[in-house]
Amino acid sequence: MLDAHNVNQPPIDPATVFHQNTYLRRSIIASYWLVILLAVPLWWRTTSIERLSLPTSRVASQSESYLRLPVRLHLDTPNAGAASALQSLLDESARRDPDRWNGLDVLVSSTKINGNSGDSSYTIINSPTILIDGRKLYYPSNDLNALADVLTSLIVPGSHSYSIQRVAQYSPRYRLAFSLLNQDAAAGRPIVDWDITSAIDHHLSPIFTYLSTLHNFTIESQVQFHAPLAFEPRQLPDGSSALTHEQLTIFINSAEWSLSSSASNDPVLHFVLFVPSIRHSPLRILNADGTTLSPSNAFLLPQWGTIHLHNPPSNSPSAGPTLLTLTDLSQPFNSFAMQLLTLLGVPSLPPTISRSPHATVTTITQWQLDALMRRRALENSERAKDTLGSIIKLVDKIQNMPVGKEVRNDVVDALSELDQMHTTTHTSLTHTLEHSAHALTLSSRAFFNPTMLALLYFPAEHTYAVYTPLFASALIPLVVTTVREFKAWRKQRKQRGGVQEAKQQ
Amino acid sequence: MERRLLLFLSCFCVFTSASFLNEQFDEKLAIRPLPDGRVAATFVFTTILKDVHPRDPRTLQFNDESQHYTLFPLSLGQILREYAVSEMHLTLNAGNWNYDRWGYPDEPGVANGAELWAWMGVNQKSMEDEQWRGLRNALAGLFCATLGSLDDQRTTSPILSFQPHDSLPSFPSQNQSTSASSSSSFHALRHASLPSEHVCTENLTPFLKLLPCKSRSGLASLLNPHKLFDADWHGMGVHVSWISDEGVKLRLTFQTIMDPLRITQSNKRSWSLENLFGKGISQRCPVAHTSQIVVSLPRGDMYAIRPEPPRIHEGAAIYDLNQASINNLRQTSPLPLSIDRTLKGTNQANGYLSLVLTNRLPNDSLKILYLEAMPWYLQLYLHTLQSEVSPIDTSLSSDTQKEAKNDLFKLINYIPSIQHSRPTMLQALLTLPPNCTVTFKMHVVKSFLRYTEYPPDAQRGWDLPPGVLTLLDDVDGKGNKIEIGAKTNRIFYTRPLLVDLATPDFSMPYNVIIFTCSVIAFLFGSVFNLLTRPFVVVRVGKEKKEGDKEKQE
Repeated sequence: MLDAHNVNQPPIDPATVFHQNTYLRRSIIASYWLVILLAVPLWWRTTSIERLSLPTSRVASQSESYLRLPVRLHLDTPNAGAASALQSLLDESARRDPDRWNGLDVLVSSTKINGNSGDSSYTIINSPTILIDGRKLYYPSNDLNALADVLTSLIVPGSHSYSIQRVAQYSPRYRLAFSLLNQDAAAGRPIVDWDITSAIDHHLSPIFTYLSTLHNFTIESQVQFHAPLAFEPRQLPDGSSALTHEQLTIFINSAEWSLSSSASNDPVLHFVLFVPSIRHSPLRILNADGTTLSPSNAFLLPQWGTIHLHNPPSNSPSAGPTLLTLTDLSQPFNSFAMQLLTLLGVPSLPPTISRSPHATVTTITQWQLDALMRRRALENSERAKDTLGSIIKLVDKIQNMPVGKEVRNDVVDALSELDQMHTTTHTSLTHTLEHSAHALTLSSRAFFNPTMLALLYFPAEHTYAVYTPLFASALIPLVVTTVREFKAWRKQRKQRGGVQEAKQQ
Repeated sequence: MERRLLLFLSCFCVFTSASFLNEQFDEKLAIRPLPDGRVAATFVFTTILKDVHPRDPRTLQFNDESQHYTLFPLSLGQILREYAVSEMHLTLNAGNWNYDRWGYPDEPGVANGAELWAWMGVNQKSMEDEQWRGLRNALAGLFCATLGSLDDQRTTSPILSFQPHDSLPSFPSQNQSTSASSSSSFHALRHASLPSEHVCTENLTPFLKLLPCKSRSGLASLLNPHKLFDADWHGMGVHVSWISDEGVKLRLTFQTIMDPLRITQSNKRSWSLENLFGKGISQRCPVAHTSQIVVSLPRGDMYAIRPEPPRIHEGAAIYDLNQASINNLRQTSPLPLSIDRTLKGTNQANGYLSLVLTNRLPNDSLKILYLEAMPWYLQLYLHTLQSEVSPIDTSLSSDTQKEAKNDLFKLINYIPSIQHSRPTMLQALLTLPPNCTVTFKMHVVKSFLRYTEYPPDAQRGWDLPPGVLTLLDDVDGKGNKIEIGAKTNRIFYTRPLLVDLATPDFSMPYNVIIFTCSVIAFLFGSVFNLLTRPFVVVRVGKEKKEGDKEKQE
């Protein structure tokens, strides 16, 4: 930048050179800042995590609105006061046990309800015999207190905590896995096959038909010939073996019995028919006191499934392989059917009520089915709302968590399913249940969306480590120059003399 | 030299075998002494699911029908139906099969590491990769193997080399009116191999669980992991196929090469079940239709075998744990073909892939299908392919060789790789002239990988899958060529290779960041300085003539 001038000529004043113009210099500095300012949004956009806004207020308002399901009772009696008396009795019962009656609005009327709402209402008909048929209940209406008790146990069946804990969580689809396990087939008397298809057709298909509005079932079965126990059952003095209560809890030997499935994520309910080896045969179950034998040879593991011990008759002639026919399977499959109902939460009828004459053991009355559907719908809507609330909380708490389109769509869809669920409460219980199940599925899919984990473990320190060497070295001269120019400008303004003098110094 | 074969079968409990209407289970152990003193033992467990069809892919979107199995493993059956698999072959092997010393294996799938290929029924074209991904993840879960990494970078569909072993079901169109709908479901082949997969006990345990008698009775009780994984070579296989008039057939195989000299610490080539496998068979499997042990007897040598075999058929002693049928036995005979594949060149940028094939037949040429599925990080240059034919014995006439040189290649099917996504696939039909060694040489370039593509043990190198050679002709014991059907092709695997790619120092990204930042800061600083620095004239004392001098303000 040395100016090579003729010695005789006076040097050019640098301030008069175009690029040394103060105005130009200041605009250059300003343009740097302008570029930085313009680049900031771009940088922000390209480096920020995609966090779409979730409908927080809708979730909050949804969590405030509770599902109310109407239960309409029609008391078919000439006595006009009976209906209101029954209504007050039921209201009293609801006040005593609000948890049990949670979410239900009972309306008793004595007039016949017509129209579309009529098909989901219950009719109580005065009759000397106690009987259930469809949505009709035949009951002597002279004793209203007893009637109210029966209606309570029909509409909100006994919700003991232990029976609730047994019930598997709601899923639109279950896998039912039937396993015939020989403890040691090589030791003799192996059971090599069973008539599983006809046993299922005969004992369980009616249940599947009844519950088809609630669940779909996928059925599979296997036979295993070596299913050893992880412990030694207790030997009894008469040569047989027995399981103590502690042993029941560790009965499932999941390391050796390949019961798990790797092909689907549907919840599985297991039905195990266990054939003890000759050495342990017959195998029984001890009572909790540890000394007396239990009459039953089946037990249920809550939310997992059920196990039936099959002791082949000791007088069987041959030690060769045997097959289980439909008649052999009737006892275990009857117990499987009962256990399936327990696992799915189908309530039992109060003992005083008999079914319609053409009903069998596995018949599920409309009252039971409705009670189950109401409970499932209430549970599902609660769980869906809880899950949605958790998503909102989680996303709020972890600022690095990305929220993609899929998550937002699932949340929005779950909310609209919940809205639709509320609108259908008065028209159809089936639709209410369907919408609640959809809402639950969508909300848990959103909660477990894998994209939300993507950047969770990328610490902010990394970002600083990358940016600092670049930004510090570029920004410091820029800031220093700006400050200097600013000072010079202030100085200029103080010296009112103007630019000319400043230039000439 | 006297060879003694001692067999101790402690208990033959003979039951009348259970007869099943729908399923049948057979087990067989073939033991074959090898010329080098080792013993090859092959377990084959076959389950046939009679009159069952593989799943029609058009039903994939609906609920599946109920599945009821007695002998067939449910966990595998679920996977097969879930992904509409018609034929599937999974092999997990450890070690390199030495064809020259051990002959042709009883079970042809001897590729080093894991190899999976499957024919799947596909209804929509977009679904086939989805099904393949699901299948390999499900199998990875079932066998505790890293099959999940058999991703698109390793997957090819070499239809010529991997023809279905048995038949594939046809899915007749339900509505005959439109031809478009009938052509919409078809079968797709997927093949992938992972030579770096190490096979060990955690893979054997789930394998044994697929057997109806597990390892507690029958021949499977010999499968003792302590002895098997000590063997010179071992491998397991799961083969599912469909035979049109029988049903779905599942073959579970375990193959080992054991060295009795090393195991017994003696200088006799004698062996027994006890010292090969560490235990005998104490119980028979109650549900096996047949279970037999077949021992190939040495020819021409003295030998003793105990217990006295009930039956000797074609040079093999057959012991039935049950009533049995006679199966064909293979003798270890020298193979007409010898293979060697190597990667030459010492630098990290390029090299030569060389394949040396030797046809030992004196008069007949051999037809071979060559398959190379090379991961994208090794790029082949097909135009540099050179072949050289040289006679094994120079005294023989070379007229036929010159002729043969012209039609060495009959057919080349080449799908080039896509960087970072698809492997190269090269299929070629070769004709090897008799009594010749043919050398193929091809220039290869080793790619640069992205920083995130390096495995944790990058310094070890990258395993390349073995090349597959399918012998389309077969040779009988006297050295005559036999034409064989497409379905009984003999498959040979070359050795896997280890390639050394340019591997960076892994602190590199931070160095690069710091270096780049310094350069940018320097450039920015100087440019910024030049643009914004004001210059002033300072006149210093008397030396006005000296002119200007720069001074920073």
